[in-house]
Order: sequence, then C-alpha cells, then structure tokens
Amino acid sequence: MTALLETRGVWQRFGGLVANSDVSISVGRGEIVGLIGPNGAGKSTLFNLIAGVLPPTQGSILFDGEDVTNLPAAQRCQRGIGRTFQVVKSFETMTVIDNVIVGALVRTTVMREARRKAHEVLEFTGLAARAHVLASDLVPAEKRRLEVARALATEPKLLLLDEVLTGLTPTEAQTGVALVRKVRDAGITVLMVEHVMEIVMPLVDRAIVLDLGKVLVEGKPADVVRDPKVIKAYLGDRHAVGA
Amino acid sequence: MDKNFAARRRRDLIIAAVLAGLAALAPLFVKDVYVQNILILTLMYAALSQSWNILSGYCGQISLGHALYFGIGAYTTELLFTKFGVLPWFGMVGGGVIAALIAMGLGYPFFRLRGHYFVIATIVIAEIGLLLFQNWEWAGAAMGITIPIRGDSWLKFQFLRTKLPYFYFALALCCLAWFVTWWLEDSKWGFWWRAVKDNPEAAESLGVVVFNSKMGAAAVSAFLVAIGGAFYAQFLAYIDPESVMGFQFSLLMALPAVLGGIGTLWGPVLGAAILIPMTELTRSYIGGSGRGVDLIVYGALIVAISLALPRGLVSLFSRAKPKGATR
Repeated sequence: MTALLETRGVWQRFGGLVANSDVSISVGRGEIVGLIGPNGAGKSTLFNLIAGVLPPTQGSILFDGEDVTNLPAAQRCQRGIGRTFQVVKSFETMTVIDNVIVGALVRTTVMREARRKAHEVLEFTGLAARAHVLASDLVPAEKRRLEVARALATEPKLLLLDEVLTGLTPTEAQTGVALVRKVRDAGITVLMVEHVMEIVMPLVDRAIVLDLGKVLVEGKPADVVRDPKVIKAYLGDRHAVGA
Repeated sequence: MDKNFAARRRRDLIIAAVLAGLAALAPLFVKDVYVQNILILTLMYAALSQSWNILSGYCGQISLGHALYFGIGAYTTELLFTKFGVLPWFGMVGGGVIAALIAMGLGYPFFRLRGHYFVIATIVIAEIGLLLFQNWEWAGAAMGITIPIRGDSWLKFQFLRTKLPYFYFALALCCLAWFVTWWLEDSKWGFWWRAVKDNPEAAESLGVVVFNSKMGAAAVSAFLVAIGGAFYAQFLAYIDPESVMGFQFSLLMALPAVLGGIGTLWGPVLGAAILIPMTELTRSYIGGSGRGVDLIVYGALIVAISLALPRGLVSLFSRAKPKGATR
C-alpha cells in the first residue's frame, strides 16, 4: 500500500534563507507521526507546504496517490487534508458550533446535515457543552480543541496538528493526548508538529527530526531520542559525547 | 439546542412579517405627504443598508463606494426608458444585473486588497464612476435626465398624484432585502462569508474558497442596491450624477447598518428606522436656524450612540450575545 502523504525533494527558499532543503518524508495510513526539531528547523514551513498555504520552491507533494503540489489550501481540504494553526485562528465572532459548521460545509451544502455533523464532532472532542458560546469566550485550551474540532468536521484523511499540545497545563495536555489517540482510532492519520518531547514521544508511532531545514533522523521514538545527532541538535556537542 | 435555533429563525420570520404588516397599514393613518416621504426614504435606506450589509457586514469587505451601484441602477433604468422606451421594470432588473457584473469585475482586482486599502479603492472607483457620468454627453452629462411624465401608471411605474405606490414598492424592496439576508444567513454562503470576515486564512484551510465568497457577496449586494437606485430614479422623476451617485449615498448605506449592528440581521432596519427620520427631522426643524447646526446635532447623536453601544443598537436586545457566554 502506498503512503498517504509523501513529499519528494521539497525545497523552500525565502530570499536567501533556505527553510526546507530536499525534504522527503512519507506518512503511512493510520500512523501518528511526530515532526520534531529545534526552533527554526523548518517544521512550520514544511507544514504550510503540506497544507497548501504556499507552493514549494522545488519538489512535489503527493497525497492519496495524487500530485497536490499546486493545489491551493481550500482544494487540499476538499481532498482530505485538515489542519490546525499554531497560533489559534478561531472565528471569534461566531459561536463554537458555527465555527465547526464552516468545516462541515465542505462535505455537504445541506445545513441540517452540517449542523448534525458539527454536533457529532463537538461531542467527540468534548466541546458539546460549549456549543453556543462565542469562540472569543473560550479559554486557550478550549480554543485549541476547537481548532481540532473544526478540522475534524471536514472529514480529513490526514490531520495536521501544529503544536496543539504546547502551552497547556499537564492535565490539559493529557486530555489532548487522549484526543489525538481517539482521532487515530477513528481511522484518521495524524502528522503533528510538537517540540515538547516528553509529551509527543509516547504518543507517536514514528518521529521525524528536522534540523536546519533537513531531515536529520527518522525512526521509532525510543531510538530517535537516543540518537546522538538528535541530542546534538537539541543540546549541543557536549551532551552528545556521553550518548 | 437545534430546536432553539430553528425556533429563533422562525421567530425572526414572524417578527418581520408582523412588522411588514404593520408598516403596510401605516398609510391609513399617515396622510401627510411630508411624513409619507420620510417613511418611503426610511424604507429605501433600510433596504439599501440591508444589501450593503451582505458584502460589508457579513463578508467583512467594507465598501464606501456602493453609490456606484445605486447610480448604475438609476441610470440603466432611465437610459433604457428615455432612449429605447424599455419599461422601468425591465430596466430595474437590467440595472441590477449590470451592477452585479461590474461588482464582480471590480472585485477581481480589488478583493486582493485588504482592510483600509480595499475601502480606499471602493471610494476611488465610485468617484471615477461619478466623473464618467458627469462627462458622458449621451447620458445627459452633468445636466442629467428628466423622466417624461405621462400620467399615473403601474406599467411605467410613475405616479404624480399619490406617493403610496412608491411607499409599497419601498416596503416590498425592504422585505426582499431582509428576506434574502435571512435566507442566506443560514446557508453555506452565509457561513462562508462570516468565516472570511473573521479569519480568511483559517477559512481557506477549511475548504472555503475565499475569493469566490467575496465575489458572491459583492454580486448579491450590488444587484439589490441597483434595484434601489432604479426605484429612487423613478421616485424623483429626475436624475443627475450627483443626485444618484454622490458619496453621501455610500455613507447613508453604511451608517444605518453600522449604527444598528453591522453584520446582523436586524441592524440595518433598526439603524435606518432611527437614522433616516432623524436626518430629515433635524434638517427641517433646525436646518434653517444656522449653518450646519442640523449636521452637528446629527453627528453628535451618531457619536453618542456609537460610544454607548459599539456593537450597534441590536446589542440592546438579547440576541447579540448568545446564551451561555458567561465566562
């Protein structure tokens, strides 16, 4: 079976800055893959390339057997790529349920159907009690959850989570981890950017480490955290010696 | 929860029907032509503002150039009527279609602009339209067009002896604009527009085609405003560029919605119901007493309302804040 998502030799340059150089990764169906790396490693850029915010300078992106390199974000959503934003982008003047309905409307134009789907998703993500609250009145952890809910309402095959667990209290993060597992159990593939290692590592099936725009190491989380190259990238040479 | 939602929609519809019914009875009690005139203008501006609200309120693309579409509706109707003998009813629809096409043609380059730049572009384009008509000989240039009066007729939509037909048409137009808004509010388009207004990037990630959403809103909005322009031209029986395409129309479309509650179903009607009579009354009662005193009073009232109720007059009613928003 082919991978659900594949990037082939993807480059992204911003002027003289190379944010991604020759990045080739693949994500299989049903996996939870963690994309990690120190600040400035190019994680967010790669994420935006996959989500279709901007086209790569070079290289191609394949999703579900189709070349989506030049498709805009909205069409990638229709193809089954859902995403959240690192800095939450709720529709602040709309209620929680209305936020989610926007997502549901990709699959149907019947309002009754979209509303039913939105309720279902809110139930799934534990936001049902807040359905009729304005998005601007949610606490940060709930806003993160709303991002996930909205993306799930588009019925994605692949869900891109951009630091959904960052900045949460330990309890909130644990609830978040449980939600990600639940999403995968519902048959949705997950690619997540995260830099809180101790939270992501137990969660993901596979970790891809980016450093300076390149893929540094890829493998099982337990192996990746012990890899001297990874330790060096995160902590510097001195710590890598002992490893 | 969904029952509440459906019930609220139904309630809005019933309130609108009752209000429209009461308004329809108004001429039974109001015999004074001056007051009838105010009522007609109020209904017309309510309709215009409701239409403006679709693009600027729901979709968040603030236009201060809607006078252009108003003027296009007026000119299309009168040029077709005086030059080719086409009945105003057809001219009205034709004007609407032309305005919608122009709105989309302009949207193509300008919807790439954001925020203030978009607003400035709309003002400039409307001014260019005004200049073009002021210099277009065939369309009467600055002299304008006088509509030949051939007696009261529904066919030609002109009435000399009574204002009542105009009143009922303005009421019907107001109901139409309200109903279109009501209907679109709970549709894919309505949701897309609000999403685009709040956060275009997030909207795009959820499959919303931002550009098309704006184009759709612009077309509907311009079409309805042009119908209003055609009506106004028939009502005045005389048009010139300044009196149907002047900047004041752009403002008078925006103000009721902003005052009443921008991006809300009831805002424009509520705003117009207060603002338009206020405009007329301040002008007639204190307009003569000194230079611009009426405008000062008028401006001060607008400032006072905006300061006291930044989210518009509709926020006086419970609906602006959904239940449960207690945090």
